[in-house]
Amino acid sequence: MNFKRDIPTRTYSGFALSTLFILTIFNILLETGVTKTQRAGDALLALNGKEGVANAVTSVVVYFRGFDTLGEIAVLFIAALGIGLMLHGNTRSTHEESNYILQKASRLLFPMIMLFGVYVMVYGHLSPGGGFQGGVIIASGILLLLISNETFEIPHAVISALETFAGISYVLIGLIGLLVLDKFLGNFLPNDMAQMGRLFSGGIIPVIYIVVGIKVGSEMGMIVQNLIKRSDDD
Amino acid sequence: MMIDALLSYLNQEDVIRTLVDTGSMILFFIGFFGLLTQRHIIKIFMSVSVMEVAVFLFFIGNLFHVGFTAPILGDGHDAFVSMNDPIPHAMILTAIVIGMAVFALGVSFAIEYYKLTGRTDINDISEMGER
Amino acid sequence: MTGLIVLFTFIAVILVAFMSIVQKSLPDAIILFMGVGLGAVVLFFVFQAPDVALTEAVIGAGISALIFLMALKHLGEER
Repeated sequence: MNFKRDIPTRTYSGFALSTLFILTIFNILLETGVTKTQRAGDALLALNGKEGVANAVTSVVVYFRGFDTLGEIAVLFIAALGIGLMLHGNTRSTHEESNYILQKASRLLFPMIMLFGVYVMVYGHLSPGGGFQGGVIIASGILLLLISNETFEIPHAVISALETFAGISYVLIGLIGLLVLDKFLGNFLPNDMAQMGRLFSGGIIPVIYIVVGIKVGSEMGMIVQNLIKRSDDD
Repeated sequence: MMIDALLSYLNQEDVIRTLVDTGSMILFFIGFFGLLTQRHIIKIFMSVSVMEVAVFLFFIGNLFHVGFTAPILGDGHDAFVSMNDPIPHAMILTAIVIGMAVFALGVSFAIEYYKLTGRTDINDISEMGER
Repeated sequence: MTGLIVLFTFIAVILVAFMSIVQKSLPDAIILFMGVGLGAVVLFFVFQAPDVALTEAVIGAGISALIFLMALKHLGEER
């Protein structure tokens, strides 16, 4: 069969899509009516008052479902590995100079972006934010520096070492929790309820989120650097 | 007077849920339409990304009660009562990050294929018909 | 007030998404795709989910579209 996409395909797909769409709208409109069921989050919110931190989403991501975050970090690592393997080529030899406005402005903006990224990462358990958000903000700061300055390049050994250190220490913290408390990723640092709302509270939750932030930031920085620098066109 | 009646009608939970369901399903089918009929391979990736945004909106919009607030203790809130559910927030966080990672991998595949053969049109990409 | 904001933002997001998909020139399509991400951030904020709104703002409207643009430069279509 010939799967080419020309104009007649648009009519076929238009018919199919409108049928599916009308059926979906019927299905939705036939079951309106809000019934208040018991939510799974109510029990977790009550438990958060005893063992968690001020930000309930952070304690769910890092402590109550910490193993899922480990799997997510593994998926990110495999994606970065795939990108590093696929893109081949030498670093570019000839570059144009970037714009004058871009050069001057990025020199002013880069420290602010880094400071903001570190703030979002460290205060993740007290206000909205956390490791993922802060790490990607730091990576976008690195991207700004890469496009405004054509001789800037982070050495591959440094990024590799940072990412490896962060990945290993996540598993090590989990294993120490297994030794001390018989529970993988158990909370073995002191966490009193009286400290809720301060910076040093919640046991291992801020430590793990900082480790996650370092890993995500360096991984995204490596992906971005590979996409910009590795090309073999002239 | 009519503005007040309209606003208070729109603030009921039933109406907001129907709005969210309908709107996110329309967005999903717009992305689906783009997936079926576009020819450039980068546009196909972008349509899949629009479909993912529609699913996230559907998820969080359907678990939202009108008077409740965000699940964070801040100024004024002292206890974890009448707050939204934190479990779907955590799941959508994970889904957003993984969607971006897979998307970056797909884009790098497309770049390498273009460097190898020079085609971006999805009609010409299949090599099964060539001899 | 929340119902009104939800209604208008949904209409805007749907229009911008449709315009982004039927565009012919690719850099315009990517910038309109960032508009979809921005509308999603406003909706997440109205639904009282600040963590998800931050993540979508940084990733969906930031890094994702930038990766697109860098890929377009390699594909040679940056008109």
